[in-house]
Amino acid sequence: MIRARPLFIWLARLAVAAVFLGACIAKIRDPEAFALATHRYRLLPGGLVNAVAILMPWLELTCGAALLAGPRRGRAAAAFLLTAMLLVFTGAISLNLIRGIEASCGCFTTRADAAVSDGWNLLRNGALIWLSAAVFLDAFRKPARPEIP
Amino acid sequence: MNLAGSRLPLRRAAQLALDSAMLLAVAGLLGSLVNTIRPETTRLPWVSDWDRHIETLAFRAGIPVTFLQGARQRVGDASTAILDARSSEEYAAGHLPRALSLPVSDADRRILDYAHRLTPDTPILVYCGGADCDDALELAKRLREFGFRDLTLYPGGLAEWREYGGDILEGAAP
Repeated sequence: MIRARPLFIWLARLAVAAVFLGACIAKIRDPEAFALATHRYRLLPGGLVNAVAILMPWLELTCGAALLAGPRRGRAAAAFLLTAMLLVFTGAISLNLIRGIEASCGCFTTRADAAVSDGWNLLRNGALIWLSAAVFLDAFRKPARPEIP
Repeated sequence: MNLAGSRLPLRRAAQLALDSAMLLAVAGLLGSLVNTIRPETTRLPWVSDWDRHIETLAFRAGIPVTFLQGARQRVGDASTAILDARSSEEYAAGHLPRALSLPVSDADRRILDYAHRLTPDTPILVYCGGADCDDALELAKRLREFGFRDLTLYPGGLAEWREYGGDILEGAAP
């Protein structure tokens, strides 16, 4: 019989890893366009925009790979970082929506004709935060080896 | 009191911090390495002067900015006036559908040509050649001085519009 909880955690790992491994491709391919997308949030000092655009996609790639194929400790750290990133992204998109900035989120594509961010982005991120946090808690709480009573 | 038990979460938190730092370091190394070895055409400098970017200047000037999707929407909306801030010759060579020519260098005089079409509350989209030109921003500022209140800058301009397959019309201003 298949137990529901491990299956859920495995599917959540798969989903979150797939999202981030897919999301990093366009950003790695065109860092200049991603830098512009990052700049459009108007949250970072100009001097940090390029550094974030250069490093962020690789953090997504590294964490996505660790989540998919890493050991338990690696999965916990990857899920922790991805949850933190998702919280930051969601806050940034929310701010853009509040300020009425008609920019795309820059999440999966850096093309200029990408859809403008809306409430759907927040819903999607909320679901991803839930999945990522579940993976993190599962990996973080699980002991590395059976503990001696 | 089980001291070993109370230390366990702390130990795990320390492990988590260490593992997270390792992932950050790996990502940092990969990002730096790839950015160094990638072709110069796609290499990004670690620092650019974003403070002089046209969108930053518009933001500071209080001129709202829109991007391709917003520009498409406004071009399709007959109530929005589309103003081309480039020279008349550049306008004649190609411009956005429904765009009117209002070169920034001659705005004070040419704005009178459109006095019957524009009111202070008319939504106006201004553009120029692309992200490298500031004519549209300068025109937007000038129009604001004239009393127009609903101004939006399209920084992508004609270059982006063309790149993404938007219709381009040719011919001199009517």
